[in-house]
Amino acid sequence: MSWEAYDPSLAAHDLVQDLKWDPALRALFKQNEAAVLDRYPTMLPAERRAIEQRDFRALYDLGMHPYLGGQLSRFIWGNDAGGGAIEASNRLVASLTGSTASIPEKP
Amino acid sequence: MAEIVFAAGIPHAPAVVGLFDKAPDEARAVVAATFGAVGRALRAAKPDVVLVFANDHLTNSRITAYPDFIIGHAAEHAGPHEWFKEWIGCRDWALPGNPEVARTLFKGLTKRGFRMNVEAGPLKFDDNLSVPTVMTELDSTGIPVVPILQNCTVPPFPDGARCYALGQAVARCIAEDMPAGLRVALIGSGGLSHEPGGARYYKIDEEFDQLFLKLASQPDHATFLREITIPRMEQAGLGGTAEVLSWFIVMGAIGERRGESFGYTGWPSFRCGIGGVVWEVA
Repeated sequence: MSWEAYDPSLAAHDLVQDLKWDPALRALFKQNEAAVLDRYPTMLPAERRAIEQRDFRALYDLGMHPYLGGQLSRFIWGNDAGGGAIEASNRLVASLTGSTASIPEKP
Repeated sequence: MAEIVFAAGIPHAPAVVGLFDKAPDEARAVVAATFGAVGRALRAAKPDVVLVFANDHLTNSRITAYPDFIIGHAAEHAGPHEWFKEWIGCRDWALPGNPEVARTLFKGLTKRGFRMNVEAGPLKFDDNLSVPTVMTELDSTGIPVVPILQNCTVPPFPDGARCYALGQAVARCIAEDMPAGLRVALIGSGGLSHEPGGARYYKIDEEFDQLFLKLASQPDHATFLREITIPRMEQAGLGGTAEVLSWFIVMGAIGERRGESFGYTGWPSFRCGIGGVVWEVA
């Protein structure tokens, strides 16, 4: 990876910050993701599509910062140390690489 | 003239807390030895204040207005911030701050040519301060802490030479601006190789980590600064490995000193290389 594609203007970065800082928004994102995404009028159609399709490869190619991409994966798949966060990083890596080869079997 | 009585560099990977019980024996031993040694040496040095240079992982500011350095001015610091509790899997903690030292650093580093920012209210802390605090039980000592959060993941960020020069300015600020007799400890919190959120999330670059620990422990900073470049860090993991820049600040502050490290583990599920250094400053 490199910073070549990185685009700080993506609205997805603000989405992640807002979800991180606002538990109510996080709950709404779980219930009605589209209603939350509607709040970001500058979000590119391709950016929104990548989030909806859980296509992190496409999202990163559009310029998503990987640290915030990792956090987005945890809003979607889980955030607890021993369970959801592992699921999230496994799914994220599978989406980014198109492979599960680097994912450890344990824990 | 205040003096530096302790200096260490340590990683803060959340999994050393959350997955500690699931890790193999040899990985657990390195984690326990590293944080145990840092905690004991810190207590033995009897500091009056600890300056923790820790990375900010986009936890306090939007990416569109991102400060390179934020000094925590609050009278108390607490964490982990709400969303990070289950992710780290650690207990809550609170540390006394030291607003007077924070203010002296802000004034002194500004005067010496470094653009610092100050947060008067509570900073949000993730693993950056939470992991060192709970793993060394720093909160049981009652020693005040001033956190200095650092950008090393939102490009462009201050490079090794700039971080080292900041450390030299920190040393002058301690020696010239802080009250005589004040005993100051320095901790750099970050690294080693990892790529958080990236395609190489589970890749650890042991070759980089071993070289980094070796060179950081030797009193030859010209070689250290020449070898440990940003391109080499990013080859070892984009957006994460550059957290070792927090150690550059501490090394700039103490000058060329020998350091001791306490083993190394690159267990993949930690998603980060783990090793630390305590430098001889006394």
